[in-house]
Amino acid sequence: MKRNQVRIMTEIGMAVALAAILNFIPLWRMAQGGSVSLEMLPILIIALRWGAGSGMMAGVVYGLVQLALGPFIIHPAQLVLDYPLPYMLVGLAGIFSNKINLKAKGSTYGWLLLAVFTGGLGRFISHFLSGIIFFAQYAPEGQSPWVYSAIYNISYLLPSLLLCYIIIIPLIKNIVINEGKNER
Amino acid sequence: MIILRNISFGQYIPRDSFIHNLDPRIKIIICLTVIISLFLITNFWGYFILGVFIMIGIITSRVHPKFVLRGLRPILYIILFTLVIHLFMTEGEVIYRLGIFKITREGLIKGLLISCRLFLLILTTSLLTLATSPISLTDGIEKLLVVFKFIGIPAHEIAMMMTIALRFIPTLLEETEKIMKAQISRGADFESGNIVNRTKNLIPILIPLFINSFRRADELAIAMEAKCYRGGEGRTHYRQLKIKKADLLTLFLTIVITAMVSIMF
Repeated sequence: MKRNQVRIMTEIGMAVALAAILNFIPLWRMAQGGSVSLEMLPILIIALRWGAGSGMMAGVVYGLVQLALGPFIIHPAQLVLDYPLPYMLVGLAGIFSNKINLKAKGSTYGWLLLAVFTGGLGRFISHFLSGIIFFAQYAPEGQSPWVYSAIYNISYLLPSLLLCYIIIIPLIKNIVINEGKNER
Repeated sequence: MIILRNISFGQYIPRDSFIHNLDPRIKIIICLTVIISLFLITNFWGYFILGVFIMIGIITSRVHPKFVLRGLRPILYIILFTLVIHLFMTEGEVIYRLGIFKITREGLIKGLLISCRLFLLILTTSLLTLATSPISLTDGIEKLLVVFKFIGIPAHEIAMMMTIALRFIPTLLEETEKIMKAQISRGADFESGNIVNRTKNLIPILIPLFINSFRRADELAIAMEAKCYRGGEGRTHYRQLKIKKADLLTLFLTIVITAMVSIMF
């Protein structure tokens, strides 16, 4: 077993608990049911701290915890596309983790934005496909599921992402940089 | 102020019932079987029989129906919405006309069928989470994921992280509340302003919260290493999952019923 592995595991566990708590503090509820919250924040932090692999693992665990706490299942494929997969793809933000270094100013904020949006895009794609499946199953023919699904998902994901980006800068300064990845 | 104390995580209702005491693995498999068969059924008789089957499950779980109905609340609008859309948008034999809107026979049948399906889907999953604690669901997920070990899914690690998360949700929730109170006593304001300002105001909560949680994670890691934790291989469990006769019987019954219903209807 690798040296840091237990530490990464416990950190992912805590991050997932934080995500579950943040999910219950909606900043803004939408009329159609989506809500803007900071649940992606802890997963993004793990991804930027330990890389994409750990970030994706944190996402999967968060999805499964959501599933154990109270699932909303309307189709077998939707189960995968709405629970483990979208949060796993949020972890993709970690592919830019070695680019983030707030001490070297300049391009870092750009990389951070790119990282947050990569994660968000991953989550969007998964929820978007799930929306298409939902509309294809439950809406009558002749409607266009792509547009509905895209509008619905963008309407809460984009604000969530922007708020995550606003908050992640001070958090990164305090957690990823100060504690350091190479501390142990 | 955002009140955190009244948040209840999960839907689990502890009872001592037949359904509660079933093995979580069996319950997850039963749930998936029922979900799949709900998609294979194409007429009302099928839904009726499965509906009765699920009702029997709810009654034997001894969970009060009001908890089951509470789980249905969020989906109610979706059910109504799909029903209405189908009523008016499906082409076919017109049975009722209301101005420019017309209700067709095909639309009525299709809308009702799909509403039944959604309704039963939510009932099934609610029953699973009402009668199984998140921790025992995690145990079940771990044991079922072991099957996929050959494609590299670290079942034990995933379950361990889920357990840590579930264990620390209440602790961290308490901590969040403490930090909030501390910041409010220093004059922090979490209520006013637009959404961006309100989010910015969360920073004084989030930074101590994150740092504390990561410190906890570090301490936990040290404690685990001190106790020679080294992953899934050869690890034993305090609570052993054991498949009993009742589990096998229930599984057999479910498979027979769902298979019959799926083929016949």
